[in-house]
Amino acid sequence: MATHDYRIDFPILNPQNNDKPIIYLDTACQSLRPRQVIEAMNRYYTKFPACSGRSNHQLAATVTRLMDEARQQMARFLGASRMEEIVFTRNTTEAINLVANAYDFQTGDTVLIGGKEHNSNLIPWQMLVKRRGIHLKILPPLSDGSFDLPGFEQAISGGVKLVSFGYTSNLDGVTLPVEQIIKLAHKRGALVMLDAAQAAPQRKVNVRALDVDFLALSGHKILGPSGTGVLYGKYKLLDAMNPFMVGGDTVATSTYETCEFLPVPEKYEAGLQDYAGVIGLGEAARYLQAVGFDAIQKQELLLNKIMTEGTIDMQGLHLIGPADPALRSGIFTFYIDGIDSHRIALMLDQMANICVRSGQHCVHSWFNANGIKGSVRASAYFYNTEEEAELFVENLIKIRKVL
Amino acid sequence: MFCIVAAVVLSILGIFSAANRRLAKEALDCVFRRITFRPCNTGFDEKMKAKILGKMINRSEGTARFLNKNFEVLAWIFFVLMLVSSVFLVRSLYLFYTTGSCNGANDAGFCVFDPTGEHNETSSTAEGACPVPANITDEGGGLTLNGVDLNLWPVKNTESEDQFIFIGCYSCDYTRKVYPDIRRLVDEFQPEFFFGEYPTKLKTDYLSRIGYCVYNQDQEKYWHMNDAFFAQDIAFLEDVSATHAILTNLGLDADDIEACAAEPETEEEVQNLFEEIRNTNFYGTPTIFINGEPLVGPKPFRVYAIQLEGLFYWLK
Repeated sequence: MATHDYRIDFPILNPQNNDKPIIYLDTACQSLRPRQVIEAMNRYYTKFPACSGRSNHQLAATVTRLMDEARQQMARFLGASRMEEIVFTRNTTEAINLVANAYDFQTGDTVLIGGKEHNSNLIPWQMLVKRRGIHLKILPPLSDGSFDLPGFEQAISGGVKLVSFGYTSNLDGVTLPVEQIIKLAHKRGALVMLDAAQAAPQRKVNVRALDVDFLALSGHKILGPSGTGVLYGKYKLLDAMNPFMVGGDTVATSTYETCEFLPVPEKYEAGLQDYAGVIGLGEAARYLQAVGFDAIQKQELLLNKIMTEGTIDMQGLHLIGPADPALRSGIFTFYIDGIDSHRIALMLDQMANICVRSGQHCVHSWFNANGIKGSVRASAYFYNTEEEAELFVENLIKIRKVL
Repeated sequence: MFCIVAAVVLSILGIFSAANRRLAKEALDCVFRRITFRPCNTGFDEKMKAKILGKMINRSEGTARFLNKNFEVLAWIFFVLMLVSSVFLVRSLYLFYTTGSCNGANDAGFCVFDPTGEHNETSSTAEGACPVPANITDEGGGLTLNGVDLNLWPVKNTESEDQFIFIGCYSCDYTRKVYPDIRRLVDEFQPEFFFGEYPTKLKTDYLSRIGYCVYNQDQEKYWHMNDAFFAQDIAFLEDVSATHAILTNLGLDADDIEACAAEPETEEEVQNLFEEIRNTNFYGTPTIFINGEPLVGPKPFRVYAIQLEGLFYWLK
């Protein structure tokens, strides 16, 4: 089955549901959802709209079972050794905040992050600098956007508590050599957290094989519902940490003075959860595994190649990241001298219903450090076709000619 | 400049659509920032420019290129045009308010606030009982009171400083339309009120002679008679017996009045009055002179009131 044969599962891509055919090249922001995910969520709302784990009636029992299945599904998806290592969050940002706030960082501890991190993996640490007096070290990428391994070795030599990197960059699609990073970090006694928001949609992630300590991802980037995410953490580490948000569903019992927390993962999942979302997330993981990551990567490369080669000679166009599309997953980020990135995005939308992202893509720090105002990001996925990538190129050329 | 033009246009469109209201808010914010010498940070102008170019580029790349290159100049041109049209709009509103016509008093050119031209309509006198001379045009410029002897005209409130001269006829649609307003005006503001009845239909010309006789017999009843004639169904005005009944109802000796109307001297006096009315160069009814200013056609009440009492007549 060719990857774009799956298009039929995505309602917005189905011409019968949309009189204005959309070319969706903004998957790095949020992926589309197949009907299987939507139906799984609808089933919750229509057939068993109840609480999980609290009530004893038949509806609650169904939800509890499906929540467990979703957790099991996510554990399999990430290759976790036990389902308790999967904590459901609202998104990657919340997962990283959970670690930043729940892990016992002390004054003087050092956290090392990359130079083109999403704000989600920057601001929580900046807050810790202010609140707990940690040191925040930044490791800039090389000029082509690739990872500076020698620089990393040098950076961790000074004693680092935690290394937190974006696995695949949402800015330029570059994937880090995480196996080497984790080995080197562990050798120096540092924990490693990966922001896998962009990696999880396009490559098989095996947390056990990687031996990563924490890993965060968002449901909305892996065909799942928005408002869902996962924090994977090694059981030992999660068990040792104190919960970040507390309240309902995090405790076994309480008195007026104290409380007894539930074990991992419940102690991190405060309040009533997004049951429909989590069930949908489990379905999304199942769907993605059925498509297969090899096929996804193959299609992403094909599309990125069309976009890259089609615009290679465009006057004033600057590609962000390495020239080789094979190193940028499905992401094609660029800016054109003298042309506002928002204008390009809006024009693509007006001209051919091409949805791309423009601006600084939540990586303001990198743009400010490099003196670049903004960029356009086209991010293709397995449900995009070669014709769509060609149309993107065709319209971009037209814009360049006019502006 | 684009923000200003867009803010005005979108504010108007925003009255009808919520989507435009949001854009109008952005545009206004942009204008506010620009006039306080700060850059527009909503990206509004960029957004709109991109939308316009995006639509245009599929139709004509050349036009899109021209638009892109000259966007600021075009925005300035539209701004100036908007400014000029705004001035005209304000002027038109003012003129409409004060004269009942966007183009000034008695100008029958198209007016968006009076699209049917109702305020300038007149009943033609050209083929009536007393046709006005053919050399008088309907441009209104020749209307005058110079050399017009008002001594022959029925008059009331002679002690007033304001003068209100009303030329109309009992059977004319537009005179009948405006009459209630004029009656109210005369009662409220008590100007020196002259009424020149100028029949435009042959079958009702006898009413002028009746009016002359009634006025000479009892001035107060003459004005009541006018009220009755204007209230009377237009078809009955030609009916002598209906007129007879009106006169009787007013407590007048109808036979005596009719006898007076039949006298040659009456006809002569009435013709003299018509001659004076024609000396105003009027070309249709109703024609009104308020303190010398001519107003042709049935204007709204406020127009006459403004002429008499000024712009803020309603405060008095």
